[in-house]
Amino acid sequence: MSFSRYKRELSALIAFCLLLLAVGVAAPSFFAGGNLRDLLINNAPILLIAVGMTLVILVGEIDISVGSQFAVCSILAGVLAKTGMPTPVLFLCLLLIGALMGALNGVLVGFLRLPSIIVTLAMLVAWRDLLRWTTEGAWVQNLPANFQWFGFGQTTGEILIVGLTLLVFAGFAWILKNVRAGRALYAVGSDAEAARLAGIDPPRIVFGVFTLMGALVGLAALLNAVRFSAIPGNAGIGLELKAVAAVVVGGTAITGGRGLLVGTLIGVALLGTIGTALTFLGINPFWEKAIQGAIILAALVSDVVLARFEKK
Amino acid sequence: MQEAIRPTNLITEQSWRARLFPNNEWVLALVLVAECLIFSFTGNNFQTAGNAFEITRLSVEIGLLALVMTPIIITGGIDLSVGSMMGLSAVVMGALWRDAGLPMPLAIFLTLLVGLAGGALNALIITKLRFPPLIVTLGTFSLFRGMAEGLTRGIENYSGFSPSFLFLGQGYVGGVIPTQLFILVAAVLGVWWWLHRTAFGRSFYAIGFSQEGARYAGIKVRRRLNFVYCLSGLAASLAAVIYVAHLGQAKSDAGTGYELMAITAVVLGGASIFGGRGTVLGTVLGLFAIVILQNGLRLSGQPAELAGILTGVLLVATILLDRLSRRSESKPQTQTSAEEEFEVKNWQVGVLSAVILGAALIVAGSNWLLVRSLTREAGTGSNAPQNASANAPADKKKTVIAMMPKAKGDPYFISCKAGAEKAAQELGAELLWDGPTDLDPAKQNEVVEAWITRGVDVIAVSVENKEGISTVLRKAKDKGIKVITWDADAEKDARDFLINQATPQGIGETLTDEAARIMGGKGEFAIVTASLSAANQNEWIKYIESRLKEKYPEMKLVGIKPSDGDRDRAFSETQNILKVYPNVKLVMGIAAPAVPGIADAVKQSGRTDVKVTGLSLPNMCKPYIKDGVVDSIVLWNTTDLGYLTVYTADALAKGTFKKGDTKISAGSMKDIEVVGDEVRLGKPFIFNKDNVDNFNF
Amino acid sequence: MFLLRAENVTKSYAGVRALRSASFELRPGEVHALIGENGAGKSTFIKIVTGAVTPDGGAIEINGQPVRENSPSFAKSLGVAAIYQQPALFPELTVAENIAIGREKSGLFGLVDWKRRRRVAEELLARVGAKIDPEAFAGELSMPQQQLVEIARALGANAKILILDEPTASLSEEDTNNLFRVIRELRDSGVGMIYISHRLEELPVIADRVTVLRDGETIETRAMDEVDRQELIRLMVGREISTVFPKEKVAIGETIFELRNLGSRTARIHDVSLSVKAGEIVGVAGLVGAGRTELAKTIFGLEPVDAGEILVRGNAINIGHPCEAVDHGIAYLPEDRRKHGVILDFPISSNITLASLKILSGYGGMNFRRERELAAEYTRRLGVKTPSIHDSVSTLSGGNQQKVALSRWLVTKPSVLILDEPTQGIDVGAKSEIHQLMTELAGQGVAILMISSELPEILGMSDRIAVMAGGTIVKVLDRAEATQDKILSIALGHAGTN
Repeated sequence: MSFSRYKRELSALIAFCLLLLAVGVAAPSFFAGGNLRDLLINNAPILLIAVGMTLVILVGEIDISVGSQFAVCSILAGVLAKTGMPTPVLFLCLLLIGALMGALNGVLVGFLRLPSIIVTLAMLVAWRDLLRWTTEGAWVQNLPANFQWFGFGQTTGEILIVGLTLLVFAGFAWILKNVRAGRALYAVGSDAEAARLAGIDPPRIVFGVFTLMGALVGLAALLNAVRFSAIPGNAGIGLELKAVAAVVVGGTAITGGRGLLVGTLIGVALLGTIGTALTFLGINPFWEKAIQGAIILAALVSDVVLARFEKK
Repeated sequence: MQEAIRPTNLITEQSWRARLFPNNEWVLALVLVAECLIFSFTGNNFQTAGNAFEITRLSVEIGLLALVMTPIIITGGIDLSVGSMMGLSAVVMGALWRDAGLPMPLAIFLTLLVGLAGGALNALIITKLRFPPLIVTLGTFSLFRGMAEGLTRGIENYSGFSPSFLFLGQGYVGGVIPTQLFILVAAVLGVWWWLHRTAFGRSFYAIGFSQEGARYAGIKVRRRLNFVYCLSGLAASLAAVIYVAHLGQAKSDAGTGYELMAITAVVLGGASIFGGRGTVLGTVLGLFAIVILQNGLRLSGQPAELAGILTGVLLVATILLDRLSRRSESKPQTQTSAEEEFEVKNWQVGVLSAVILGAALIVAGSNWLLVRSLTREAGTGSNAPQNASANAPADKKKTVIAMMPKAKGDPYFISCKAGAEKAAQELGAELLWDGPTDLDPAKQNEVVEAWITRGVDVIAVSVENKEGISTVLRKAKDKGIKVITWDADAEKDARDFLINQATPQGIGETLTDEAARIMGGKGEFAIVTASLSAANQNEWIKYIESRLKEKYPEMKLVGIKPSDGDRDRAFSETQNILKVYPNVKLVMGIAAPAVPGIADAVKQSGRTDVKVTGLSLPNMCKPYIKDGVVDSIVLWNTTDLGYLTVYTADALAKGTFKKGDTKISAGSMKDIEVVGDEVRLGKPFIFNKDNVDNFNF
Repeated sequence: MFLLRAENVTKSYAGVRALRSASFELRPGEVHALIGENGAGKSTFIKIVTGAVTPDGGAIEINGQPVRENSPSFAKSLGVAAIYQQPALFPELTVAENIAIGREKSGLFGLVDWKRRRRVAEELLARVGAKIDPEAFAGELSMPQQQLVEIARALGANAKILILDEPTASLSEEDTNNLFRVIRELRDSGVGMIYISHRLEELPVIADRVTVLRDGETIETRAMDEVDRQELIRLMVGREISTVFPKEKVAIGETIFELRNLGSRTARIHDVSLSVKAGEIVGVAGLVGAGRTELAKTIFGLEPVDAGEILVRGNAINIGHPCEAVDHGIAYLPEDRRKHGVILDFPISSNITLASLKILSGYGGMNFRRERELAAEYTRRLGVKTPSIHDSVSTLSGGNQQKVALSRWLVTKPSVLILDEPTQGIDVGAKSEIHQLMTELAGQGVAILMISSELPEILGMSDRIAVMAGGTIVKVLDRAEATQDKILSIALGHAGTN
């Protein structure tokens, strides 16, 4: 019973364990503390975005504009930091900027009821080209000294980033399970009309989810930006596909209404470690994309295989 | 109202609008007319037959994908893997033709089979295992592209195809009509007939509205879906064949991003992403709305980025209009579901206005902040070309110099642009600076075509794809336009002069020598490149490897990792390198954004024993060079490169410089040596702690 | 004192009057039936009461308070709850949670108390007499179970006004009786219920008063024991309907359709043997879950056959897909009209020709003129009320949609016609027209297999009656020997065995 309920999450977990096992046997140095730390840090921004994407997919929508939003937020993080604003204000500003961009999607999808894949496809192109137009690809450099690692130094900064990410993750996981708004996402995703009749306002929920998604993108962009001493103008290309793939591999139904954030965590971990694991296994990087695609498909197929297995 | 219905003639005449534009395509037709009207005023030579045919040539590949995407979207599906399938098909065809030595027709046939097989894989997972097409094709999107890269190791670039094959993509029938236009027209007519005039096509609409309902009516839903996904694979490989013939090269990156363009065209054409609605006419209109927008902006000298922004706006605007018009004409319903009710509450209007205002503020604010901070940084103060033209004497006709980088957003080329603008200002010439936003050989051809149509005096190109662009450049020369290549060369007979900053061999050898100097001639090192399929980088690597063999047998290159021009990717790849190859003493970055990424990774790992070198911009690496993480970087003076290019172009156009001259006078750079048809900038330069402060680019 | 009082409520959709003047009163502790033909305005009226739709005019009072700005959540707070024909539960949420969504009043940012939810759910489920695990996913429950959960949800929300929209449409006799028991208990505890049904025969059993709507207007409200069925029908349609079941004797021909020990594991049917002669109507009766629809789907190629055989005119045939069934002259009018019977967004013409696209196709593509002619012919013949065959089917009322669904199969000129609940949820007038048509078809020599949960329909229309239970046909009765009691006792007697 409980097995069948979580079989999607389980199949992702099994795939992840197999990967770890393979790396563990062939290249035990993979599990060195330094490597795990790097993996955690590098995947923290993706996890944040995947959390938002899980919410969006849960209500039965999709957001493929996050990569472009990420780029806009990254550049603005640098530009704002150069005006010398204090860190907490910077945080607020980015959350707000991200939320506004998300809210634009939210208005179009939630209130005007346009299909989300089209709206966010338009935004994907528009934000990216708007950024290129204004920056002409320039990087933001000469950031103030207290920008990198928030001025705390590398170790503290890393702990802060990972800590904040995990806190946000745990917070959302808890909210999704225990707050009425979280449960409303499942209701809207599985049947918007029924949700409306049950007194939930689906347009508002959808609007809220897209706004949150945007705010998370803003946060992710800031946390990613502070790891470096300059901000490139082309950040986040292909990020949307990474996030969607992680969410789906983690067992969330693309049609909405079903999924857990734990699954998303597994999905991010699985897809985030493949690249590094392949390097450790000494596999040629030329095959990396092919293997990534194969793993996404394998996670889908294993779902069916598990279902068959369960029937017998 | 129930009583009112006493049908006498049930077959009512539908209005001409409903018959001609069953899916509200008139909105798009109006947009198209508006575009054409605007661009005939703003664009140079926009309304010529030649330009019309050029536009169609450029839209063939995407057109094919979009045409087949139409029935897929009508069934409520989607196929994200078509662009990747183009990449796979292109390299398979190249390999079959060159490596397996098969005759071209057979190679093409087998390539089409590969496309069919790829489509069949999608179909199998979608119909047998019943997974949403979005997810399945997202998986094969990675899989196909990855296979293309794996098969060619990213490096292989098949070229040198026979003229009869290239005619398919580059030739003209009767001197004016591009060859591949016939394929597009045939495909449009074929798909139109098939989708709108046959029972087979009708069944796709039924499936789109209700798969179960269609099955209950005796329609073989699975077989239909299998068919359409297989067809999509086939169309993708056909598009790949034309793409290869068009560009004269087959590489694993063929068709990158084409899936989004195709989907955009289909959706712009009024197809509903939920299935059931969509027409071939709409798709064709959508396709041309995008292509004409891009072409028209180019001919009007507007930034190409506007095209993306306007496409986005257009996309949202058309579906919004469509939605609203459907609402207003929606028929009386006895069982009106609440979904149909469209009531925007006051507070929703409030939120809407607030958000639009906010977004506008972001745009305006970021523009203002960026412009302010960037101009402050630029130091030398690159003035806009408009100012330059204002300074020029009004009676003299200005030289129009069109200059193209490989990628507009690349910081390397941005620094070249600064020099070019300075020169243009000094000379009073009009500088057009345009090119692909990302590395995209097909886009380069498109821009050159637009410039030929527009009529410029000189075209200066930094060539991404030698074989592909040479045909177009020759065409430009035939039209009396002077052609220069800079930064990277085309075929010799396709241009008048090359501004030569350094040969690939020179770059490779300088990089290797620099690495050897830092490492003391022995030990392990690794390279972080741009993308695995980047042509320039792969050539440099070739020379690095041969130099190693020849001069430094004790040095070992342990790994080459891709960064895809993404600083963050370079960062994490370097982290991996440091752990997997602990003996690495040096990491070399051979893409401008890679070096800062490598430097940050090395710095954050605390490995002071690992040094960084590579090819990058001094400004980008300045902090790391001063830190000592980056020992040195190799490059030429990019501002000078741009400056020299414009001076050469201007002199060529005015006739003050011609073949046989041994030097050229280039403004503040004084006299520059010319050897044969090459203008020599000088040797690559090594930037280090001591001299980096002297440069600002 | 009234729980609900509506006076002269009006509502128009895009200029078309759905409600002209609807008036209605509901007292505490009564079951008030609301009847009318499809399109009479019942759904609109219900939507106005539940706040899903805003009325244009008229007055509504709930608990004596005038209601101006209604909305689903506001109506809920006033104690209005509705249960629809298709249960509106969230399949991916647990039963306990589904119940809580209707019950808990805190805003979106309230916390969820899982233990309390479980306890409350157990209590409420016990009140409606349902043995359901509160932790089960709603999607795993059967239709009657889901309905009980919905009632539990409404009870939990302290509903004082409970709207039941065709609650028995897909319930078996047994489940219906259980539902009626729950309804009576609720009535005794003071809940007022609006009961909407097309099954006029169940109204005297459950309703206290009845209000008839016609063309968006309230025609009359009567005490249930003052009116009889004929009177109600007259009020609904505004005219007398003379023959309820127009069964005529037609010449019975030879056997053209036969099943021999048919079985399908996925459809859960086994050893089904039956034969139907030309011109014969065989009714298929049974409880929900007896395998009636599953049998039809197996015959039509929607479920795989793994035992026995199907014979048409004496030849054993292989059916792997509905299109092969169509080729062999078998037609199937499915139970779920909106999902399977028609394609709602398609024009009437395309719907009518969808199963016979083959005969419209030539080398030059589709013959569109022929399509229009065919569509017009059948639209006229079946009396589909529409101004044009180009209108989409979603603009039609239920009965007219069903006629379109039936037309689709008549175009194929079937020799075997399987009708699955052909008159479920459609108004009396259309119902009688469909029965008339069945008789006509039988007269032309079509072999008809009619599945129905409505016993009077089965008894009135069939030549023979096959009773199903536990996935097989347990008994075939002749028209003469069949009675409601007999059919029920056979169906019930075997309900437990499998």
